[in-house]
Amino acid sequence: MDFQDIEILFAEDGLDDANLTIRALRKSGFTNRLHHVKDGAEALDFIYCKGIYAERNILEKPKLILLDLKMPKVSGLQVLEQIKSDPDIRSIPVVILTSSKENPDVEKCYALGANSYIVKPVDSDNFFNAIKDIGLYWMILSQPSQ
Amino acid sequence: MIKKKSDELSIANKELAFQNKEKETRAAELIIANKELAFQNVEKEKRASELTIPNKELAFQNKEKEKRASELAIANKELAFQNKEKEKRAAELVIANKELVFQNKEKEKRESELTIANKELAYQNREKEKRASELAIANEELAFQNGEKESRAAELIIANKELAFQNKEKEKRAAELVIANKELVFQNKEKEKRAQELIIANKELAFQNQEKEERAEELIIANQELIDRTAQLESVNNDLGSFSYSVSHDLRAPIRAISGYTRILVEDYGDKLDPEGIKILDSIMSNSKKMGELIDDLLAFSTLGRKEIIFSEINMVALVKLVIEEVLHQDGQNVPIFNVTHLPTASGDQSLIKQVWINLISNAIKYSRYKLKTHVKIGAYTKDDSVVYYVKDEGAGFDMLYYDKIFGVFERLHSHEEFEGTGIGLAIVQKIVHKHNGTVWAESKPNEGACFYFSLPEPFEKN
Repeated sequence: MDFQDIEILFAEDGLDDANLTIRALRKSGFTNRLHHVKDGAEALDFIYCKGIYAERNILEKPKLILLDLKMPKVSGLQVLEQIKSDPDIRSIPVVILTSSKENPDVEKCYALGANSYIVKPVDSDNFFNAIKDIGLYWMILSQPSQ
Repeated sequence: MIKKKSDELSIANKELAFQNKEKETRAAELIIANKELAFQNVEKEKRASELTIPNKELAFQNKEKEKRASELAIANKELAFQNKEKEKRAAELVIANKELVFQNKEKEKRESELTIANKELAYQNREKEKRASELAIANEELAFQNGEKESRAAELIIANKELAFQNKEKEKRAAELVIANKELVFQNKEKEKRAQELIIANKELAFQNQEKEERAEELIIANQELIDRTAQLESVNNDLGSFSYSVSHDLRAPIRAISGYTRILVEDYGDKLDPEGIKILDSIMSNSKKMGELIDDLLAFSTLGRKEIIFSEINMVALVKLVIEEVLHQDGQNVPIFNVTHLPTASGDQSLIKQVWINLISNAIKYSRYKLKTHVKIGAYTKDDSVVYYVKDEGAGFDMLYYDKIFGVFERLHSHEEFEGTGIGLAIVQKIVHKHNGTVWAESKPNEGACFYFSLPEPFEKN
């Protein structure tokens, strides 16, 4: 696989949510290279070029990380904590995507340095608009730190 | 004892003094008797000498008579006879004289004896005087001793009186003690009585104690049961929390997928479907949306039950104005005219009370939708210790026949087509108001509007 020039790292264990999110981004005009991982462990492997990502160039950092909270093995919260405690990568914006309004970790996510916390809307119109807005804001409007 | 002894001594003394006087008297009498005897002796000697002279006279006369006798021959014989008689007489006198001499001698002897006796008596007298002076001294001594003893006796009398006084005092004290004793006996009896009562009370207390211990044991058991129950409830609550999360997370995902994939169908394959097919896909999407709303509302309602109220002072006027602005921003059709009167400050959870106003005001707008130029009046009044806030509209209203249903979860009195909504709004209002120890109620007539009231306990006076 080619992991070069990945701009968006997308960690999501739900295949449906992953498909719909990727489709919403594409439909919204974001053609940036996106890599989808299915759990937190794989996300960390990708970030730190370990395991199947050993060949990847560690200096090529994604511009945006989309992180689902509820994932097998390593949770989104743990991935977030790792990213934000590492000075080399903490400047990468991390947007938390979650299914539930009930999640008690909202405050914890922001405390750990999450850049945004989004509850995935149920109906497709709102979902589409939400993903579009994320892409618009973080990939275009927001200026990355140098 | 001492007094008796003293009296005896006094008597003995007096006796001795008396005996002394008697002896002195006797000595004086003896002296007189002695003098009398001496005088008689002299008288007798004088008489004896006087008798010698008549004797000589008689002897002369005898001679004269002898001479006469011669002269008196016959007379002589007579005289001789007389002479003889006289001689006889003389002899008798001589005898008598001798007797007298003898008596004289005897008297002399007696006198010397008396003298001796007298001397003896004098000696004795002197002795007695000496003795008497000794006795006088002794007497004085005794008198002194007597005086001492009398003084002592007087002292003893005083002491006796003192003792008698003390005795009386002691008797008095004893009498008092007897009274005190009786009092103590009485008190003792009272105390025994009281002790008896206390024993009974003690038994009663012991019994009560037993009862209380039993009760305490029951309470401990009940407490344990409560603790267990609380633990169970906490566990159930935690279960509910995770259940809510699970429902929220896991139910929403498939619906999102259904809605999302239906949208893909419409977007990618819409041209292959007739309008009826598209309409069905739209229905799938709208139902998914509705399902999502129901889930969200259900979760909101369930979360409310577990939410802790954070009390603060709420400026109701400002809050209501904010809510009206927010709600009007979303709605546009036949918006009623709002009339907000003064609203007292409330004490409650700002975000929850805001939700109450949002639900009531949006309901008022929603149910006024089909009427032109209606009014919504928002006001408050004080009743007892509560402040009653109300929202009165002139909208569709409802039949009071179904009043019991309006605050129920997912209960609706109107069709979804007529007025959208899940039927959770008033249930949430009721739950929030109840959590603030308030009450909520409503009045309505169909097509004349509805008035919803909620009361909150009056906030404490500000310091």
